[in-house]
Amino acid sequence: LNERSWPGTSGSDPAEVFLRRALDDAALRAPDDVTLRRGWTAVAEPVKPSRARSWSWFAGGVATTAALALVCGLWLWPRAVATFALTSPVTTPRAPAQVAPGARRLTLEGGVEAQLGPSGVMRIEDGAPRVEKGEVRFSVPHRPPGHPFVVRADDYSVVVVGTRFGVVVNDQVVGVDVDEGIVEVRQTAAQRRLARLSPGQVWHSADASVETSGAPAPEPPAPALPVSPAVSAPASAPEPGHVHVRIHDHRQAARPAARALALATPGGGSATAGRAAITSTPAGLSTASDESANAARSALSAGDAPRALQIYRALALKTGPAAENAAYQAGKVQNERLGQPANAVATWRRYRAEYPDGILRVEADVSIIETLARAGDADDALGEANDFLRRHPDSERRAEIARLAGDLYRARGDCRHAVGAYQIVLGASRPRDVVEIASFRRAACLVRLGDAGGSEAARAYLRTYPTGRFRTEAAALVGDGARSVDGRARPQ
Amino acid sequence: MQEGPVNTPAHLHAVPIGGSPIADMEIVARCRRGDSHAWRTLYDRFAPVVYRFLSAFGVPLEDREDACQEVFVAVYRSLGHFRGEARLSTWIYRIAARHASRTARRRRVRSLLSTLLVREPPPPPAPDPSERSERLQILDDLVSKLSPKKRLVLVLFEIEGVPIEEVAKIAGCPENTAWSRLHYARAELTAMARRRIR
Repeated sequence: LNERSWPGTSGSDPAEVFLRRALDDAALRAPDDVTLRRGWTAVAEPVKPSRARSWSWFAGGVATTAALALVCGLWLWPRAVATFALTSPVTTPRAPAQVAPGARRLTLEGGVEAQLGPSGVMRIEDGAPRVEKGEVRFSVPHRPPGHPFVVRADDYSVVVVGTRFGVVVNDQVVGVDVDEGIVEVRQTAAQRRLARLSPGQVWHSADASVETSGAPAPEPPAPALPVSPAVSAPASAPEPGHVHVRIHDHRQAARPAARALALATPGGGSATAGRAAITSTPAGLSTASDESANAARSALSAGDAPRALQIYRALALKTGPAAENAAYQAGKVQNERLGQPANAVATWRRYRAEYPDGILRVEADVSIIETLARAGDADDALGEANDFLRRHPDSERRAEIARLAGDLYRARGDCRHAVGAYQIVLGASRPRDVVEIASFRRAACLVRLGDAGGSEAARAYLRTYPTGRFRTEAAALVGDGARSVDGRARPQ
Repeated sequence: MQEGPVNTPAHLHAVPIGGSPIADMEIVARCRRGDSHAWRTLYDRFAPVVYRFLSAFGVPLEDREDACQEVFVAVYRSLGHFRGEARLSTWIYRIAARHASRTARRRRVRSLLSTLLVREPPPPPAPDPSERSERLQILDDLVSKLSPKKRLVLVLFEIEGVPIEEVAKIAGCPENTAWSRLHYARAELTAMARRRIR
């Protein structure tokens, strides 16, 4: 029972074989990076740790009763409202902020804050808020690629990735103003872009006009792909396709309808200004970053890897998660599609330089090591592998990299270092086949070194993997501990 | 050179999942001081672990992301109560296990209410046709049939690779009880798999 040899490895019982594979699969199950980023967006600014709990029981009772009443009420209410109310407490890791008198503050999915004016009415339709009447101001944290925030009002959609803005509906006239960032107003049915608003600009559906209260803000040019391949842009470089407009207090100069939009800016809002890249809407509206990523994927599907690389490079010049992804993906295209391992390694190294703590950092490190090893650059691969093992003591990829390092040392005849690397693998539990291989090869290396522990290591292998794939070779190692079996025992 | 059976829990014990206790305490202390980098480090280190645990524990795909976020919000709220007596990973697993159970309860209530109010429950996401996904779906299905106590021990030991003494701490039971639960969980799972595959 104590050993992790269950399920058995005999191969005769299909149920055990199935369970072994399935458990290995389950151990390697991991969320994709978009899920992780989305999660980070939601928990990046969590609520403060709880304080004294003297009132916790009483408050808990009141809250439970209120919540029950609310849930029951909402179950009897139209579905759209229920969705809105039920999702709000789940993802509300936001710091409290000042609320204007008479206004109501709600936190929507993804940490979006909505501040309803005294006469504001908002509903959730198909997962997106719809402003029915009055004024609602939104503060939207940065969104992951492919998941923009969309607000509907009458026949219009306001699409945004991360910004602060307000929507007002009065007598069928829709108004949108922007405090920070860039938003687009679209006609929902036709999916046609009507306006692209920068901070200080106000748009009205009555005359479809854009009014600017501060410095004139020209319509930004459509994002264009640079023709020449480029390395990552410096952080201070202006973002292509975006116009940086000075944030201006438009409330003084706005016309009456616009003035009605301008509530107090939510205090403590964490929306990021200006650099938000607009992607696509769930309804199928698409914008720059998402279009680019989709275009790159389409190009790859069509076998046009150079085009995909060009798109990824252009996307990598921007900022945000889509750019980070693109910076990494460019290397993958070079390596896997274009057969340019050296260029791929250079691209991933640039990625690391730009995103030293990026969410794809481990992937980039592993890709570099594997690519160098495949290309036969053992010295560089070993340098990277050792750096990886030092840098990522808790990584799930540690066993794979340690095994690779062991194989590289072994291939150059350095059994002493190979044993050290395989020893690291034995400290991991998964993947099982990697651990099994390392266990056997370590024994083989010890035997080759003439180490007295070689036979015992081979016996340990046989005890743990009695029906393992190297059982014959391991038995030979035990029987003839002093003889090197590397030549005939090398399984792969 | 000393040699022992590889992959035993004792062996794993030497390689803590969440790093050394000192590193754990340091990262927690920095989080308490409001260091956002430390919080990001903690998230990066444990988010995949929590997600994987929730998946294996039977939290359905459509609830998994929310549940994962809730766990981290709970972790952040409770950082002040982490005394460093257990590993950070053990502590986080405990929170995740509580939330997984809560999510299951919530789902049952939701399903019951849907039945009572004759509302169509949301359709499950389309299945992934790959062989690996199919295997995982079958495994999830089989594991979900275990009792919660056995399921917790099996998932932590067999999938998460947590040493049994930590499993016992997370499950809040003596080590021998954890071994016993594991034994019966393995037996039940094997029997169910045999029936399913036949």
